[in-house]
Amino acid sequence: MVASVLFWELFDEYILWSLLVGILTFGWLFHHSFWYTSSKEEEYSNPDKIEVGVFPRHNDDMKLEVAWTILPFILIVYLTYISWAPLDAVWTSADGGIHGNECEEGQSSNNYLDSSSGAIVSECYHIIEITAKQWVWSFNCNPNDDSWRGDVVPDRGFELQTDLCDVGTISIEGYGMQPLLSLKSGETYLAVMQSEDVTHAPWVQVIGTKEDVLPSQTTTLWLPMSEAGESMILCTEYCGDAHSIMSAGLFVHN
Amino acid sequence: MKKNFIQSRIIVVMTVLIAAMIFTPLVSSFPTGISGVKDSGCNCHGATTSDSVTPMIMGLPEVYNYSQVYELTVSFTGGPSTPGNINLGGFHLWASEGELSVTDATAQQYNPNEVGHTEVGNDQTSWTVTWTAPDTDRNVEMILHVNSVNGNAGDGAGSSGDEWNKISQKINAPILVLESANPYVVLSTLIVISGILLFITVTYIFYRTNPDSFNWESFEPWISDWLTTTDHKKIGTLYFLAGMFFLGIGGIMALMIRIQLSVPGNDFLTQDQYNQFFTLHGTTMIFLAAMPLINGFANWMVPLQIGAPDLALPRINAMSFWLQPVAALLIFTGVFSGTGADTGWTGYAPYIVSETAHVGTTMWVAGQIMLVASSTLTGVNFLTTIAVMRAPGMGWMQMPLFTWSILIANLMLFLSIPAFGVGLVQVYLDRVIGTAFYDASAGGDPLLWSHLFWYFGHPEVYVVIVPAFGVISEVIATSARRSVFGYRSMVYAMAGIGVVSFIVYGHHMFTSGMSPTLRFVTMLTTMIVAVPTGIKIFNWLKTMHKGSLIYRTHTLWALGFLITFTLGGISGMFFPSMAMDLHFHESYFVVAHFHYVLVGGTVFGFFSAIYYWFPKMTGRMMDERLGVLHFLTAFISYNAVFWPMHRLGIWGMARRHHTYFISTEEAMGSLPAEAAGWNMFISISAFLFFFSNFILIANMIKSVIRGQKAPADPWGGWSFEWMTSSPPPTPSFPLDDLPTLKDANEDHIANEPSAIVKWFQGLMVLDNEEEVSH
Amino acid sequence: MSDGYHDNEHEHHASAWGPHDWSHGAPHNSWSPIIMSIGIGIFLYTVASVYSWGEMVDSSSIALVLIGMMITFFGLLIWWRQDASFDGVYEPKATGTPFQNIEIRKVAMWVFLMSEMMVFTSLFSTYMRYRFGIDSCQEVYESGSWIVNSQNVDTGEAVNCFLPASELIASSWFHIAPGAINTFALIVSSFTIVQALRWAKKPVGSVDEEVRRKRVYRYLGSTWVLAIIFLTLKMVEWFIGFYIPAIGPFHEHDIMSLVEEGYTIHADHYHPHHGWDDVHLAELAALHPEDYQAYLAAVGPNYEPTNAVMLADIRVSSSTFFVTTGTHGAHVFIGIIGLTYMTWKAWTGGYTPQNAVSIEYFGLYWHFVDLIWVLVFPFFYLY
Repeated sequence: MVASVLFWELFDEYILWSLLVGILTFGWLFHHSFWYTSSKEEEYSNPDKIEVGVFPRHNDDMKLEVAWTILPFILIVYLTYISWAPLDAVWTSADGGIHGNECEEGQSSNNYLDSSSGAIVSECYHIIEITAKQWVWSFNCNPNDDSWRGDVVPDRGFELQTDLCDVGTISIEGYGMQPLLSLKSGETYLAVMQSEDVTHAPWVQVIGTKEDVLPSQTTTLWLPMSEAGESMILCTEYCGDAHSIMSAGLFVHN
Repeated sequence: MKKNFIQSRIIVVMTVLIAAMIFTPLVSSFPTGISGVKDSGCNCHGATTSDSVTPMIMGLPEVYNYSQVYELTVSFTGGPSTPGNINLGGFHLWASEGELSVTDATAQQYNPNEVGHTEVGNDQTSWTVTWTAPDTDRNVEMILHVNSVNGNAGDGAGSSGDEWNKISQKINAPILVLESANPYVVLSTLIVISGILLFITVTYIFYRTNPDSFNWESFEPWISDWLTTTDHKKIGTLYFLAGMFFLGIGGIMALMIRIQLSVPGNDFLTQDQYNQFFTLHGTTMIFLAAMPLINGFANWMVPLQIGAPDLALPRINAMSFWLQPVAALLIFTGVFSGTGADTGWTGYAPYIVSETAHVGTTMWVAGQIMLVASSTLTGVNFLTTIAVMRAPGMGWMQMPLFTWSILIANLMLFLSIPAFGVGLVQVYLDRVIGTAFYDASAGGDPLLWSHLFWYFGHPEVYVVIVPAFGVISEVIATSARRSVFGYRSMVYAMAGIGVVSFIVYGHHMFTSGMSPTLRFVTMLTTMIVAVPTGIKIFNWLKTMHKGSLIYRTHTLWALGFLITFTLGGISGMFFPSMAMDLHFHESYFVVAHFHYVLVGGTVFGFFSAIYYWFPKMTGRMMDERLGVLHFLTAFISYNAVFWPMHRLGIWGMARRHHTYFISTEEAMGSLPAEAAGWNMFISISAFLFFFSNFILIANMIKSVIRGQKAPADPWGGWSFEWMTSSPPPTPSFPLDDLPTLKDANEDHIANEPSAIVKWFQGLMVLDNEEEVSH
Repeated sequence: MSDGYHDNEHEHHASAWGPHDWSHGAPHNSWSPIIMSIGIGIFLYTVASVYSWGEMVDSSSIALVLIGMMITFFGLLIWWRQDASFDGVYEPKATGTPFQNIEIRKVAMWVFLMSEMMVFTSLFSTYMRYRFGIDSCQEVYESGSWIVNSQNVDTGEAVNCFLPASELIASSWFHIAPGAINTFALIVSSFTIVQALRWAKKPVGSVDEEVRRKRVYRYLGSTWVLAIIFLTLKMVEWFIGFYIPAIGPFHEHDIMSLVEEGYTIHADHYHPHHGWDDVHLAELAALHPEDYQAYLAAVGPNYEPTNAVMLADIRVSSSTFFVTTGTHGAHVFIGIIGLTYMTWKAWTGGYTPQNAVSIEYFGLYWHFVDLIWVLVFPFFYLY
């Protein structure tokens, strides 16, 4: 279950407006469908004098039509506005954005929830690496110059402590042996990702985010970890036979 | 008679050829190595199995005794493992029933069904485990994977040069147990049964047309008339029947998917079968059910509504239709040999061009190339027909809204489908002659496919919903006995949707790694879509104002459409909001949304169309009581199927996953415990929804046979189709006696073209009028 | 106009196989659509059975491919047979504004060309994506980075880069000759098709009918010949190559085709032969001393740095080239099929001022194909 504050704030706001629009529309619909029903004797009443082969009289009202063009548009502008701000939380720059710069050795992200924006803000972030192939995730806490990531992520010169990031394996019922990623709450991670074969996408369910992992191109994904807990990472870009069991465990500890 | 003899021989040859295409799978499956939960674990040692490694399980009985403990020795010979290395090999054993356990440190137990080697056991080629037989009558299957390792892992070379293989073994229960059904057998049986039913129906219809001449001599011209017809009404009927047939096939696949998902960890379908079924479900429903249904009504009604004798290019129209059944055969070929397309209807690159995608994918692509050709020809036909063949007096702004919707839908389809066609041809060539458009190792870009696909794919979903808008506009206005509110804004709204459809497709790619700027732009444009759609909904509601609504079945479906489509529209508003979409993408929330607009929108719209135009098409009224029963059962069960899916999506149920697991105290899973109950509820409702539609089929058959005779204008509509008799004569409107549309609005001068139009005519008609029209 | 529009009444139920009686208009039943569809289906199915990922896996299915093509062609023959009797008495005209009195089929052709435009737009998008998104082979070579990163000197690993076919084609006048002649041929063929239309359209009485018949079929025939020249030269340029002996002051030339030069869709270890790649490693060492040192360190001290060869994986470049120009070629081929029928019909004297406009419909398509070539030629052959 997703535990992202940003998600739920937006969701609640959208649900509120959906309810208002829904009540308006359905109220209107039910009223008209029961109020303006034909009774037996007026079944063949024909207020607009419709006859075959004659284009009927226009039945329009410019003011009304403009009104329900403008009003929804205003609502749309508002919804766009509230959806606009979180973009920064989703795709902040890796260089001096809301997650600062890459952490020095021993430095901690100390991330916290910025209640005004709903986004998580950090002092700095740690780079980890996710490589996908059919049908295994593999995590690497210390990307270095050895492989593809050499071009993308320069070796930072020190290793992350296992407290901050650790990999292992875990047996998950139904999924079998799967890789496990252990992270620390209060820390923010930037995953650099690449695929060895086809397109995949890790769905980090607990923070409700995902990004495609492409072959021979690098994509990135912010993982601001704020709460401890155990959850799963699933694959959500269809990748073939064992797509649905291509998963991983995610442990976030205090 | 000689001519007839030749014709029937050609029909026989064609039939044999078609049958050969279905039943001779010339293409064979590629070994894919890993499939399904019970089959994971060896892919790190190479992608395919190796024959030089021979796995063995010793100590297994042919028939087990209840609860007896067997000591099994699993071993292998061959492969690159050389005695003396530290690492020699590993194994993984899975048993469908009973309990596996380990006896020493060389092996470990993952769960009662799975054991494998430990790091200690890495230096062995044989291991000992125990298996406790089940205490009930179950046929047991065991699958053993072994790796033969050359021991170079320590040198940084990873697992290169290693080989692996697998075997499976069956142990029978003490008494005979029936094997569970093979889903392919179920599916092909159902398709064959539907085919037989279709044949019986065709024969029966022929019998009913003239019971006295039930013989081949009169059947042959009757059936060849249907096969060769270029009449828009007959082709419309063919489209309609094909659409209904594939709606059933797609529905059966949906039911299989729902059986599989009804309980967590189900194994009714293997993952492989599941992947093929959801791929074909999507393709079938969009391309072989929704589009033909729409084309069926478009073929029937557009020429009637605009007062034209036929479509502009009748033979091309027949070509558009006949490409479809052949394409359907190609799309389905793989399924019959177990290697159907397994790419999802989006067919994302590079998976679609990888060898791990089934061979049937090539046929699926080929079939869709034919569908693209068919849609292009349909587009030419309808755009031309609507542009040039309107009856005198009918300007652009006097066209019935259904005709408008078909015009806009075809324009969208026509301008977008070439991109898809080119993408498909590229994929076909990649898979067949080995070009490298989407080969990532050669620098091919997976996103290029996504762009080409969604540039078509998003207009496509509007292509199937916009005609439903047209139907609803007609039905609501006629039922409320009003002229539709805001005819002009209705047209502009549809045109607006048509224009916007080309610039919003990026919202399918919010998580694709595409440039954030582009994602942001498409977020804005996607938000805008709500405005024209809202205008249409409000206009429909206002149309009912001060009307006198008559409740017929088509009215009920139209009102039902308003509810479900509004809900689908509202849930659609959640996606352009990026921070939410990152969670919703590829989840059941998306599944719920698009089923709300595609089933609740398109299918409900066309159910309404069936009840609305059936009297016109067949000359018989439909049974209202059965209609209401159909509406109530289908509408309620439909909502029960798709409404809970929203919640499942938020909880974290991923789309295109063949199963899911529940989080409990002891075990981690991706979903909370309530999800299991809801899934079962959805599956049961899905069966209800599927079977409720048989009421419609029964109603149609019953009404065709002994429905009341229909008058020319049973509902009180104004457009030309209500002017002709029911069913319309052939030709509906003779070319020398076209109807003229009158206009109740005094300010309109129908036959005086505007200055721009005159200028345009000057451009188009260069020739001396007399000479051309002799 | 005649008594009715349809001929479904049995007294004049024309054969669904043979010539139609057009005097009372369309439509007529026809076997052509269903037969052509089945043929196309068999063709697409069996081609994919013969080839798989560029390898011939089942040569026995070639027979089925041919059967598919024959069935399609058989369907087409029925279509033509029904069309041959078309004398233009019934030519449907538009009734709706703003197109009144335009021939309906002319509008349809314009509409169809709209979607054709989108087909080539998509192909050009693909081309632009790869042309601008992938480093060009020349730049990669000159940067010297391939020496260090690709280890391709010994192991044969190739660098991904974009090698436009124009590198090869525009390298000499002889290489470009087939394309240039083709451009000329297509432009002339656009002229000949208009001449055919002009002669067919001359009012009755203003020209001798025998002269009209000869002119029309000769002009259509010339168009046909020019189109055949186009495809032949295309084959020469792609597969065959040509040889020019030494005559008088001229040198002899042996011009290799693209495929002979190794520029194929399977070229994953292409060794470019032109201009910029003749530089030897020693020269590169002077240009990029740092890369060169790194390279020496990588290969070890005993390595002899001679004959450095950059191997390039140019499958994407060649795929875009062959498929885009091939799609255009396919359009020319379809044009040839149409022209074959039209020339035959003209030879039988089938075109009169009444139905001359059907030459115009074909002409629209033909001009479009010509126009596309005018775009393809600079983008794929020159630039």
